[in-house]
Amino acid sequence: MVTAGCRMLRPLAVLVCLCLFPLTAPEAGAQQALAPPQNLRVIDTPSDSGEGLTVLWARAGYDAPEVRYQILLGDGAEKKMVAEFPADSHYVRDARWPWWTRVDRPDAHQFNLKSGKGLELKNGTPYAVAVAVVKGAERVEAAPVQAVPAPNWVNWNQMNNLLLVLLFGAVVFGSIRAAKRREIFLRRIPGLDAVDEAIGRATELGKPILYLTGAGDMSEPSTIAAAVILGRVAKRVAAYETDLLVPHRDPIVMAVCQEITKQSYLEAGKPDVFREDSNFFITTDQFSYTAAVDGIMLRRKPAANFFMGSYFAEALLLTETGASTGAIQIAGTDSDHQLPFFVTTCDYTLIGEELYAASAYLSREPIQLGTLRGQDFGKAFILVVLALGTLLATVGVLFATDLPMIVLDLFKDLK
Amino acid sequence: MIFLRRQLPLLITFVAGVVFAAQYYVPHPTSELMLTEVTKWLQIISGFALVLGVTSLFQIHAVKIRRKEPGWAYSLILYSGILGTIAAGFSYSFTAGQWVNGKETINGIVTAFGWIYSDMMVPLQGTMFAILAFFIASAAYRSFRARSREAALLLIAAIIVMMGRVPLGEMLLPVSGDVTQWILNVLNAAVRRAILIGISLGAVALSLKIIFGMERAYLGGGKD
Amino acid sequence: MTFAERMLHIDRRIIFLVIGVCTLLPLLYPVGLAIKVSPEVRGVHDYIESLPEGSVFLLSMDFDPASKPELQPQAVALLRHAFKKNLRVIGMTLWVTGTGLADLVVSQAAQEMGKVNGKDYVFLGWSPGVGSLIITMGQDLYKAFPSDYNNQPTRELAVLKGIQTLRDVNYVVSLAAGTAGIESWYVYGKDKYKFELGGGCTGVIAPGLYPLLRSGQINGLIGGLRGAAEYETLIGQKGRAVAGMDAQSATHVAIIMLVILCNVFYLLIRTSRGQSGQPRG
Repeated sequence: MVTAGCRMLRPLAVLVCLCLFPLTAPEAGAQQALAPPQNLRVIDTPSDSGEGLTVLWARAGYDAPEVRYQILLGDGAEKKMVAEFPADSHYVRDARWPWWTRVDRPDAHQFNLKSGKGLELKNGTPYAVAVAVVKGAERVEAAPVQAVPAPNWVNWNQMNNLLLVLLFGAVVFGSIRAAKRREIFLRRIPGLDAVDEAIGRATELGKPILYLTGAGDMSEPSTIAAAVILGRVAKRVAAYETDLLVPHRDPIVMAVCQEITKQSYLEAGKPDVFREDSNFFITTDQFSYTAAVDGIMLRRKPAANFFMGSYFAEALLLTETGASTGAIQIAGTDSDHQLPFFVTTCDYTLIGEELYAASAYLSREPIQLGTLRGQDFGKAFILVVLALGTLLATVGVLFATDLPMIVLDLFKDLK
Repeated sequence: MIFLRRQLPLLITFVAGVVFAAQYYVPHPTSELMLTEVTKWLQIISGFALVLGVTSLFQIHAVKIRRKEPGWAYSLILYSGILGTIAAGFSYSFTAGQWVNGKETINGIVTAFGWIYSDMMVPLQGTMFAILAFFIASAAYRSFRARSREAALLLIAAIIVMMGRVPLGEMLLPVSGDVTQWILNVLNAAVRRAILIGISLGAVALSLKIIFGMERAYLGGGKD
Repeated sequence: MTFAERMLHIDRRIIFLVIGVCTLLPLLYPVGLAIKVSPEVRGVHDYIESLPEGSVFLLSMDFDPASKPELQPQAVALLRHAFKKNLRVIGMTLWVTGTGLADLVVSQAAQEMGKVNGKDYVFLGWSPGVGSLIITMGQDLYKAFPSDYNNQPTRELAVLKGIQTLRDVNYVVSLAAGTAGIESWYVYGKDKYKFELGGGCTGVIAPGLYPLLRSGQINGLIGGLRGAAEYETLIGQKGRAVAGMDAQSATHVAIIMLVILCNVFYLLIRTSRGQSGQPRG
């Protein structure tokens, strides 16, 4: 019993001794004689546009704040020091590279040389790079290593980004396929139910409908969404033979919306009611456009105003003037800084992606519905990742381990 | 004809979409040069599009003036404004001794074009922007009502932030400054990020549909 | 109609009058209230303060005359600070309608601080494109701007000596009234060419830029007239922004009082309708 007890105590005693008397004391490292940096490698910086070199060397026992590393570029008389820093810094794990593109162990040293700010590295030209270590008056230098910077065709650091985009794309297309086979539920968007009400009211009062597509050009998703919704609105307006006014800030948007409106009137079976000048260009200038539209509102007194697309400071000027004429106002924008103004002055507001959802809601087309479902999956995925990421990051900090980075790096935006 | 109106634009969209999506992952300088080049093409196309827009503008107002429709005098003012500003921009400045060439000042001397800019455009634009202050007040008076618990919470937050953003407010309610900072840095930043994520997902989905030809509204028509 | 109902439907011109008086009186009779500096504004100030003499500071004035009241004081304060620190200042704009205004701001600030065009500062003006312009500046500044706003060849200017691309710029601040602005400078500029970036903006878009600030994509943010007033306080040179804060204070308090009043009237109506058994509005 005693012998067994002693046998158990022995490893415990060793452990206690190791904790109290570590094999390498902190001071011992700093007192080690200086040796040249070991395993020095210089490579072309991967995944970059060129004119960059990466210097790697092994961690040393003498790494401490009072010891300094120097990076030297060039040969012989042309050799010059391009960087100097404390020896307990610039590790591979400190560089903003994900684990799948790291070129050495996390505890090795890494320094990136990049053209600019007094340093010139030309692609295709070999450069000699050396690393020296300095401690007080003592200085030791490793033998220089040559490397040639070159531009790369693939940025492997962003492969996580590409994979996530492809995954999201696959989810969206899969959802569209599923939507073609079965019915997909879409929650009620109050603003869109009001579209019919607004058009009906305008018809009863014999007043026109004003539709704005926002400040953006055709490259913006909000403007495309606004144009798509215009098509649906124009179809219903055509059926009721109500006047439609669509003043524009962008000539290309005007041209596209003209075609969309014409097509809508055709589909509604009322091509003779279509007016070429229902879509007209005013000006590209923000406040000149606003003043012109305000004038239209005050003179023509439309019964319904639609504000779809992206807006800036002119939002409140437009909506408040519209409110003063007593029109019913429906807005839809992804300009989050203007949302408070729309919400307070309009009867209904489509917030952010509800604008994109609006097209699906009005048309009930499988493609649109499937896309919405795909986006919802994307949001659910992000929510899960947020929760999981927070948990993993906390675990990493609490237990001082880099293991959670294996997962966390997958969601980082790294260049 | 169908090929030119439908298939060809879809093909161009697909190729251009895939190439420039891939461009983001290619760090090679050739890729950046290609992006810069294409961006220049966009600027050139925008220039032509402006001609289209200005032509449309002239046409509409010319009809209004010819038919003497209500408000045709404003169309006349628009014409004189456009032509006058263009003329001032291309005129010769006798004081400066050289052509204006669209410059507001030449060697410290204000040109006619510069006068139009600083004494007409600047005050007019400033006035339009200043109207916002009045409209915010009237919109707030009309709409900021505690109709529900959520509306009441919004109201309280709005009052705290309005107090915290001005020295008088911080003097009257000292804690409002710190609470405002917290609301902006924590609550506001979190909500903005959430909205941004939703909008970004929508934009990515829409872009993918356009690239792969599923969304064709931008071609100016309905279904095929 | 009861008094409360009449007050709820008051002519908005009376509200306009109240706001007008609250804006005008403090401008005519300033009070000079103390201004507390926020960490966001201090971020921009401290970074400029840390730059050694001769560092390159690029100020992009991305606004038009409509945003002049909020952003011009920011520009003036930043330029005064930069000139005081003897930094090499490069001015430019991404908004064509703001070119004349930006040139005026830079020239006036330089004249006030005794700086020489071409030697201590340069105003490059405007060039078409936003993303492509910033990318071109990141590759070759002289290709993007072969001459400055006064048609002087940029390669020959002493202030641009040693500067080839945006990588050689120590600090960029974009004063933005919308798009193109701070986000453009980050996406096409800092993300690629790794310079430090700060921002200034109108009050209405400032909350939307806090995510960029919190994530470190910009190191500071000067928001609206308040931000400009804070910056003026930091550099010890009070200007239009500080003067405007009294008016802004009065206007904010006026709006708060109006909102409180409207809620009082609204609650009175609700209560009286509830007591009389009428349906609530």
